[in-house]
Amino acid sequence: MSVAPRSSNYMSRPSSSGLVDVIDLILDKGLVIDIYIRVSLVGIELLTIDARIVVASVDTYLRFAEAVNRLDITQDRSEGLPQLVNDMQEGGARHKTRGALEGVKEKVTDLIGGDGEEDEEEQEERPRRRTRPARKGREQ
Amino acid sequence: MSGTLPSDSACYVYGIVPADAPVPEEVLGVGDPPAPVVPVQHGEVAALVSEIDPRRPLGTPQDLIGHARVLDAVAAGRTPVLPFRFGAVVRDAAAVTDELLAPQQERFLAALEGLEGFAQFTVRGAYRQDRVLREILEQRPDVARLREEIAALPEDASRYQQIRLGELVSEELTARARADADELAARLGPLAAATARADSSADQPVNASFLVAEDSWEEFERAADGLAATWEGRIDLRLLGPLAPYDFASQLVDARGRDSWD
Repeated sequence: MSVAPRSSNYMSRPSSSGLVDVIDLILDKGLVIDIYIRVSLVGIELLTIDARIVVASVDTYLRFAEAVNRLDITQDRSEGLPQLVNDMQEGGARHKTRGALEGVKEKVTDLIGGDGEEDEEEQEERPRRRTRPARKGREQ
Repeated sequence: MSGTLPSDSACYVYGIVPADAPVPEEVLGVGDPPAPVVPVQHGEVAALVSEIDPRRPLGTPQDLIGHARVLDAVAAGRTPVLPFRFGAVVRDAAAVTDELLAPQQERFLAALEGLEGFAQFTVRGAYRQDRVLREILEQRPDVARLREEIAALPEDASRYQQIRLGELVSEELTARARADADELAARLGPLAAATARADSSADQPVNASFLVAEDSWEEFERAADGLAATWEGRIDLRLLGPLAPYDFASQLVDARGRDSWD
């Protein structure tokens, strides 16, 4: 690659996109081939897309409340990437990628081994407690 | 070439590049195992494709990353590329030429010309949860009061208050996220030819993509780092790129060239 990421002092500058970033970057983005090709389009089963699940807000709110209640105000250390944020991804803006994340989860450990983004992947893909039945992406 | 029965081979299409573009070598794409990425040329444009087994469903992490890896490698090599949406599969190379490249050549070419020298950069940020929640408690006495109220009640008796507290926090986070996203767009937007903002949400307050000309890449990165410094300890910022123009390709093809943002 001709552009080596330069060192940045304050932000993270991954040299390749990890799984979570890739999902956000590419799903539902780019040219749609169906517009151009009709006859020879091959319909392939996709493990990812779809799965737009609407989650009751109450569920979301309760998790926020829990986080605020847990907060120790006397302590001013503020550390660690939010588990809440991870939880929120399921109930929040990322419904559309849920299917992908589910299908993907089983393989995340393989991936972490080889992808050079260990910390981040671990943070973002850390298993979380589910309050709803998981919708499984179909593995082959 | 054009068999009519289900076959064990099909053409996965990554994107469109100029016909003379170098093909990223040894970059693993989609498939298990991924076949080499090759160009299918027609006139002045080419599609980057690789062979896949159409009987295997697509969408494993390796597939998703492979798709992006190929396209981003092209973009990082300063070659304009029009990415297809993940999962574009055509019967064979002949169909790519006859049904995709031949009829659309002019259109693709115009879009590629408009992209010359540009790549996408995507900036994402997540809140440090504790820090931002603390801010909210400090600045919103009503939220702090509700929290104390809940602490004094047995858990079973406070469900309503819990929901209300979470709702207030959620609203406040969303409002802050919007303000932070506005600031990001204001600081970095002027350095880009085009900006695509994702909706701000509490979990991802900052998430926007920018189409940046090559000679501004360094300046853009410095500006993003400057913003990260401003937000240090509060928002963790990440910069991805140069990437294929995932957020801009459709718009560009429809507009048939660069007129849309010059």
